[in-house]
Amino acid sequence: MPKPKSSKPGDHTAYSELAVRNNAAVVEYCRTSMAALSGCTAGILGLTGFYGFGFYVLAVIGLWVLLLMRAGSKWNRYFLNRKSLLTNGFVGGLCTYVLFWTFFYTMVHVY
Amino acid sequence: MASTGYHKIILTIGICFLVHAAVSAAQRKSSGQDLHEIPSLIFQGIVSLIVCMYAIIYIAGDLKEIRATEELENKSWETLRNIPSFYMFNHRGRSLSPAYDPTSINKALNEE
Repeated sequence: MPKPKSSKPGDHTAYSELAVRNNAAVVEYCRTSMAALSGCTAGILGLTGFYGFGFYVLAVIGLWVLLLMRAGSKWNRYFLNRKSLLTNGFVGGLCTYVLFWTFFYTMVHVY
Repeated sequence: MASTGYHKIILTIGICFLVHAAVSAAQRKSSGQDLHEIPSLIFQGIVSLIVCMYAIIYIAGDLKEIRATEELENKSWETLRNIPSFYMFNHRGRSLSPAYDPTSINKALNEE
């Protein structure tokens, strides 16, 4: 017979909608800035092809680590879970990244 | 954990390093060197990116506690029934004061 999950009355936690939105906005700001800056760096370093996309993945992981370092050991007081912090907005950031990457590659290495 | 002028200075320094890396890369490219043989340039680019990202996550703003009970923990039940709009200072209890002058209201009305 399967045991029911979280049968204790104290298990449920109420989250503040406003605070969750505020944290999501902060993370979104960081993510956009990170995509732009790492795109600049990739263009300056002259990365091409899959090396550039690999650099983006490394930058996303780097930002994740920095955010978790900032939140400290009590990360679950600020974020609902860590995995969505890593994967949210991946493709949207990639568009910004490719824009800055191609722009800076052209500025530095072509002209 | 608030963003300060300190972090803005760090961000400015990081962007300056990034621009310096870009300019030196462009110069070396135009003088015909292969950029992938210059580790110092790659190192400079990556270090300045890390410095900028570190500054930006502090500039972006403060993280808030997501548990809803966090805000209420410092408040008591007295806070809930405290309604400042209904404060009343002009009540008849003042006539019990020894310094009370019953004609003061009429004087104030006549002066207006």
